[in-house]
Amino acid sequence: MDISSLVSLVDDDESVLESLPDLLKEFGFAVKAFSSAEEFLASDSVNATKCLILDIALPGMTGPDLQRELTLRRQNIPIVFITADEDETIRPRMLEQGAVECLFKPVSEATLLKALDRALCVN
Amino acid sequence: MGYEPRNIGKPGDPGCATGLHTSSVGEARFCDILDGIPGLVITAAATGELELFNLPVLEFFGKTPDELRNWTAGGIVYPDDLPRLVEAFRLSMTTGCPYDLEYRLRRFDGVYRWFHGRALPVRDSEGHILNWYFLLNDVEDRRRAETLLASENRLLEMVAGSNSISEILGELCRLVEATATASYCSVVLVNSSGTHLEHGAAPSLPSTFTAAIEGRPVNTDSGPCAMAAYLNEQVISVDLALETRWEEYQWCPMALAHGLRSCWSTPISSTIGKVLGAFAIYYKEPRTPTTEDQVLIAQFTHIASIAIERQQSQMSLSRALDELKASEGRLRTTIDAIPGLVWSADPDGNVDFLNQAWCDYTGVGLEDAGGSGWAKTLHPNDAAGLTGYWASLLASGEPGEFEARFRRFDGSCRWFLIRAVPLRDETGRIIKWYGLSTDIEDRKQADSLLAGEKRLLERVASGTPLGSILEDLCHFVETTVTNSYCSILLVDPTRTHLQHAAGPSLPTNFNASVDGLPLVVSSGPCATAVCLNEQVIAADITLDTRWAEYAWCPMALANGLKACWSTPISSTNGTVIGIFAIYYKEPKTPTPRDQALIGQFTHIASIAIERAQGEAALTRSEAFLAKAQQLSLTGSFSWRVATGEITWSEQAYRIFEFDPALTVTLELIGSRVHPDDIPLMRDMVARAQAGQDFEYEHRLQMQDGSTKHLHMIAHGIVDEAGQMEYIGAVQDVTERRLADQALSKVRSELAHVARVTSLGAMTASIAHEVNQPLFGIVNNASTCLRMLAADPPNIEGALETARRTLRDGNRASDVIKRLRALFRKTEAITESVDLNEAAREVVALSLSDLQRNRIILRSELASSLPLVIGDRVQLQQVILNLLRNASDAMSSVTDRPRQLVIKTEEEEGDRVRLAVQDTGVGLDSQTIDKLFQAFYTTKSNGMGIGLSISRSIIEKHRGRLWAAPNSGPGATFSFSIPRGPGAVTGVDSLDTIQTPVAVTEAARVMGNP
Repeated sequence: MDISSLVSLVDDDESVLESLPDLLKEFGFAVKAFSSAEEFLASDSVNATKCLILDIALPGMTGPDLQRELTLRRQNIPIVFITADEDETIRPRMLEQGAVECLFKPVSEATLLKALDRALCVN
Repeated sequence: MGYEPRNIGKPGDPGCATGLHTSSVGEARFCDILDGIPGLVITAAATGELELFNLPVLEFFGKTPDELRNWTAGGIVYPDDLPRLVEAFRLSMTTGCPYDLEYRLRRFDGVYRWFHGRALPVRDSEGHILNWYFLLNDVEDRRRAETLLASENRLLEMVAGSNSISEILGELCRLVEATATASYCSVVLVNSSGTHLEHGAAPSLPSTFTAAIEGRPVNTDSGPCAMAAYLNEQVISVDLALETRWEEYQWCPMALAHGLRSCWSTPISSTIGKVLGAFAIYYKEPRTPTTEDQVLIAQFTHIASIAIERQQSQMSLSRALDELKASEGRLRTTIDAIPGLVWSADPDGNVDFLNQAWCDYTGVGLEDAGGSGWAKTLHPNDAAGLTGYWASLLASGEPGEFEARFRRFDGSCRWFLIRAVPLRDETGRIIKWYGLSTDIEDRKQADSLLAGEKRLLERVASGTPLGSILEDLCHFVETTVTNSYCSILLVDPTRTHLQHAAGPSLPTNFNASVDGLPLVVSSGPCATAVCLNEQVIAADITLDTRWAEYAWCPMALANGLKACWSTPISSTNGTVIGIFAIYYKEPKTPTPRDQALIGQFTHIASIAIERAQGEAALTRSEAFLAKAQQLSLTGSFSWRVATGEITWSEQAYRIFEFDPALTVTLELIGSRVHPDDIPLMRDMVARAQAGQDFEYEHRLQMQDGSTKHLHMIAHGIVDEAGQMEYIGAVQDVTERRLADQALSKVRSELAHVARVTSLGAMTASIAHEVNQPLFGIVNNASTCLRMLAADPPNIEGALETARRTLRDGNRASDVIKRLRALFRKTEAITESVDLNEAAREVVALSLSDLQRNRIILRSELASSLPLVIGDRVQLQQVILNLLRNASDAMSSVTDRPRQLVIKTEEEEGDRVRLAVQDTGVGLDSQTIDKLFQAFYTTKSNGMGIGLSISRSIIEKHRGRLWAAPNSGPGATFSFSIPRGPGAVTGVDSLDTIQTPVAVTEAARVMGNP
């Protein structure tokens, strides 16, 4: 694990925002958590972020909106989408649009690590 | 004649034709001729003053011309006839028309004789009356012979009948008095011992006179009748004032006191010479019997003797009957011959006597009509028939009768009934034929009127077109009313115009001119008659000034018509529906007889028109009905259950695709009913026999294999005879049913989609809301494990994450709570629910399902069922569930009708119950216990939650739901809930049955519970 790798999380759900950074820190990642896309874009973490864990359904700018915005800013940050919906058709659509992975909540520890590994390898 | 004329008319008297000083030889000759005529001739001035009398006149009357000129004074014309003669005379003098009259004149000797008197005017070249001639023919002998014959036979008829002796003798007296002018007649009888006189008859004599005679002894002294009876010979007393006999009994003074001056008594003897009584004729003047008088006396005495003899003894009765028998021929001819034209003929059929009436009628005398000349007076069409018949009678010698028309002197013909009877002598040889022709014109006319009427009415009844009937009527009128032309007009439906209907003999132009005339008083007589609803008579169109505005009269005149009688034809309710008009080519006013005929004809016309119009209306409405049935695919029928008689409308035949000629029977119907629906039909028949109304939907299997769906409703009525008759309608609902099926398929598909969609949405929603905390829990738990497994373990961190896990778990449970709230979108509706109506809706929605499963559904919904308070949709959910369960329970039943009864009724304790009864597999007691548990099912493809939910719903309505096995096959599921307000406790109490509510809500949106 590359400790210097910064993993950013954007999710509006309080439980996720609280619990997931702690777990990622246990794995050894540096973690920054944001409750909205706009907050993330406004932070100084965008350039440092090696992997973005992004909720699809967000108030205001959605996950895919943020992805398009980052592309436009030429910020090629690997993105792992997470969603609470169970619509299976979302995943292929997300992968097609350049996501590293699209995971359905609740996500197991192993699945999450695997997805993070692949994201960091892209770099 | 047996009298000597007194030479009163002296030559040289002015007024006396004989020896009149004449200014010329011609006039003298004229007078000679007048005097030589064997009849009475009188001339008069144009003013009617009598001028000349020929010799026979003066001789007959025995009076001077001056006396005769004062002829109305008295002593010349018989008082009873005088007013009649004076009137006829006056009329002739004022009008110039001749008269022809019979009356009695007094001869010089006081005897009145009948004369046939005729007055004839002599006119100059310009037609002015110069003077009058009166010809007087003595007809006394003829009249006497006639009346004698008639009287005789009348009396014999009475004798032969059951009339009493006093009636007969009274009639005899009256007949004598009628025959012998100015006479009085009496009959006295000799009592049984032959000693005294008894009352017989004297209808015209004072009772004091007869009383004075009766009881006198039979001898030569007590009076002329007693003397005649005693001597058995005639006693004549010419002048009682000079009479010296019967002084002892003061008979003459008594008679003179009663105003009588002469008396002729004749004994009435029996056939064996025994005197039975006396027959007396009295006059108020001195009189000697003439020969004719004696003939009369002899005849009547003879008849009186027959009558009396018959009355008096059985033996003489039998003789009288013999006598009667002998005179039977004569009797019968006369019985038949009164009144009418009388004739007789010899055995070969040559007519040798014709009475005056006959000659008067035909205007032909015996000289021309005698032998076989009478046949010339027959109507040409009847001549051959009657002469042939007459020949057959002569050949057979049998009496007979025949109807034929005789031509009257004026050329018109009238119907007569001619009767002929042979008179035979003792040996049976025909010695005479007697005949009588009776005028039966009126009867004939009535007959033909009746026959014509009947024929027309038959045509009306047989539905002959109106125009043809009315034409017939016109023809009939024209044959009945001589020289008439007839037309019939109708009032058009808008009641603004006249419509030509019939006028077969009138000019086409005329009919065309009248057709379409407006219904205003001024357009013509027919229109006037309609407008005023009264008869309009235009007796002479040439003089009529009415209808000038429309120039109707000139138009009619141009068509040769000069009289028009228009009579309104009214319907039974009084509306004028047409006009009956009669036209003539000559001016004419209707006689009473014409009016009577018009009355008859208009009546027939009104029947014909009303009937025809009524039928047209009926036909029209029938056609409407038939069309309506055809368009709506609805047939109607009636069914008399007791007799099995079924009547179908045309459309019903069409629906069943049967030949309309077939007789409808239940078997015939059964042959079309779909095999699966036969139980339905049996059920229907059973219900009908029980007298219940019924309503069914069933299917027909047509010959081409196709299926028709029928909806049938029948209502039972009890007819006059107390028999049940069903009147019903049957509608072909195939199209609708097919559409329903298609719709219901679409519905169930939609329902499925809806169900799937709503479940999916619900699942997604649940998932989304629960996955978030779950993800938190998973993360926390992982973190916690890692912290505890670290060396050294991060206890603080682990504790923190465990706390977070707990919090997220609670949060997940909160999510579930929120979802629950989300799904409880609507509260349970509490409203007034009519369980019957709710059940009907469910039944309506289930019908096709039930039919597919061949279920016979019967609704027995209680009338005036109290309302309940609750959620209508939830309750319907329960009902639907019960119906489906029942239907499913019967799906395997094949050995009995799959019958389902849905029933509502009021229960004790203010509750309302609904029960669903099936004939399905039924229940055992073990099953019943488990039935209402969730997920218990007896069905192979059921979920087992229906009954459990149903019970929850019912319990939330403070009711209960239970099941019970039937006494027969199957089970009954019932629920009962309280009626009225307060049935549902509140919204909260329904919380525990959220799921069904949600489903119900979804269903409500989709319109399919």
